Amino acid sequence: MNKIITSVVENIRTFTDVTTVFFIGGALSHRDTAYPVIGMSTNKSLFLKAAFPRAPLNNGIGRYVCQLQRVTLKFCKNNGSSRGMRDFLENDLLNFANENPGVVVYVKPRRHKTPVIVAEYLNGDRFWHSCRNYSREELLKWMEHIRTQAGDMTNVRLRKMWHTSFPSIQGPWTPWTFKNPEHIFAQYPNKEFGQAVQYKPTATEELKRLFKEQQEAKAVQNLTSS
Amino acid sequence: MTTLHSCAKMISQLHRLIPITCSGQRGFKRWVAPVKKVMAVRQKKMGPQPVPIRNTFLEWNFDAEIFAFNKRLSEQFDSELLVQALTHRSYVIQEEQKQRDVGITEPKLDIEDNREMIEEGAELTSRIVVSYLGKCLPLAPEECIFALHDHLLSQKTLAHVSSHIGTKDIILVAGNIADEGILADTFLALVSALTRSVDVIHAGAFVRDFLIATLAEKDLIEIWTPSNPLENLNEILRKDNRQLAEPRLISQTGINSLIPVYRVAVYSNKEFLGVGCGETIDVAKEVAATDALLRIFNLNNYQNLKYDLKVDISKDNMENLPLTKWCTENVQKVLQLKT
Repeated sequence: MNKIITSVVENIRTFTDVTTVFFIGGALSHRDTAYPVIGMSTNKSLFLKAAFPRAPLNNGIGRYVCQLQRVTLKFCKNNGSSRGMRDFLENDLLNFANENPGVVVYVKPRRHKTPVIVAEYLNGDRFWHSCRNYSREELLKWMEHIRTQAGDMTNVRLRKMWHTSFPSIQGPWTPWTFKNPEHIFAQYPNKEFGQAVQYKPTATEELKRLFKEQQEAKAVQNLTSS
Repeated sequence: MTTLHSCAKMISQLHRLIPITCSGQRGFKRWVAPVKKVMAVRQKKMGPQPVPIRNTFLEWNFDAEIFAFNKRLSEQFDSELLVQALTHRSYVIQEEQKQRDVGITEPKLDIEDNREMIEEGAELTSRIVVSYLGKCLPLAPEECIFALHDHLLSQKTLAHVSSHIGTKDIILVAGNIADEGILADTFLALVSALTRSVDVIHAGAFVRDFLIATLAEKDLIEIWTPSNPLENLNEILRKDNRQLAEPRLISQTGINSLIPVYRVAVYSNKEFLGVGCGETIDVAKEVAATDALLRIFNLNNYQNLKYDLKVDISKDNMENLPLTKWCTENVQKVLQLKT
């Protein structure tokens, strides 16, 4: 019992650690509150713009291009709410810039204002996010998030988790799809094709029959032996 | 005792957890709608506002942007050539005017514009696209290749590609706003700059990855379909010494309804060529003939268009036959000559 409880606690802890939820195409985030809100249902999503996850400019067919083109980190040099941002700038920003030479990073100090990330994407999207009182670790995750998403997807409701330009591989349905070729040459009215569909016994029924037979055989055996 | 012990242990771990809270809000915010209405009225009164221009912001470093542009596309542009390719003529004129306004009668600027590059790039891009498509679709007729070429080199497609590789903000143009034409021209200038920086084969890969790859999202039939398909099909069959196409109604449904469907297939000497549906028999015949042609030209499957070939425009010439000369024998001859 003790073990089970501790493992549950461990699980909850790891669950709460996950602050950002990624979907295919680097789309949605779940970080308005640090912890997932359970048991709340709204129809807010109905008012969002509906879209499919798309790769801009066939990204990946020719070659992969990081869609984040520039990021501006705005912060205050002495306000407490920017502390995490300052830590991030001191410790992790150079690594980020080295690893992503295709992203232009601007750092903009401004007095007594909330720290903010502004990301700009190749498709013209501008993603603005307030980082008030964020820790360095949270900022690392957010930078990873804005680096991997293809555009601002915050105000977008994904209609499906996938998209294809070719919805049907076998072609559109026609009245003749999967039709038995025998029917083409049949003369109607036709007795064979016209009769009601005869269903074979299902697997369950077959099993039941076998079981019944077995039971009866056993009963007969018992009778004969006694 | 053991249960007590475990409880104590759990409580000691629980305080580290942060409880999941769910705070609802009570009451209606009755001020929201009126405020939004007033704001909307004011916005309408103000009229359309100018779009903020990114390169006039305080946080803007042109050199860093040029460096990142190169790295982002994993390209090897020479940075001077790249800047030249991004400099529009109107920008040079604007700069000269600025000097004149200050009082310099003969303004001297060491910036070059991209007029020459645009011309060179247009020719190069055109040749690259044609020879790439010729290599990809050797069975397609010349008309199809030219139609695809015209689609790819249309201003709209070029501008779309150009803005999506990130030229929009870094183009040097008077007034800082690049319209569709300038965006398209800049892409062509970039191809020229890349040819000068590395070579044509490398520029070919650039065109393939960014321009030709946009065909992956397109239905090729929407861009080009043979006109008079039945006549063309018969023409080709005649040249191949095969029996003429024989359209046969293979099925029909809903004939007495508002939406009848006929399915017609074309055969040559009982050999299946293609199939199509339509609301009248004539339409279905045309569709079936088109399908047969597309099958012959190997255009019926979008997977036939590859995006990993390399082209060298000095060697790979497009030798696709026009529809009037197209027959299997001629095509085989051309293909043998190529290999």
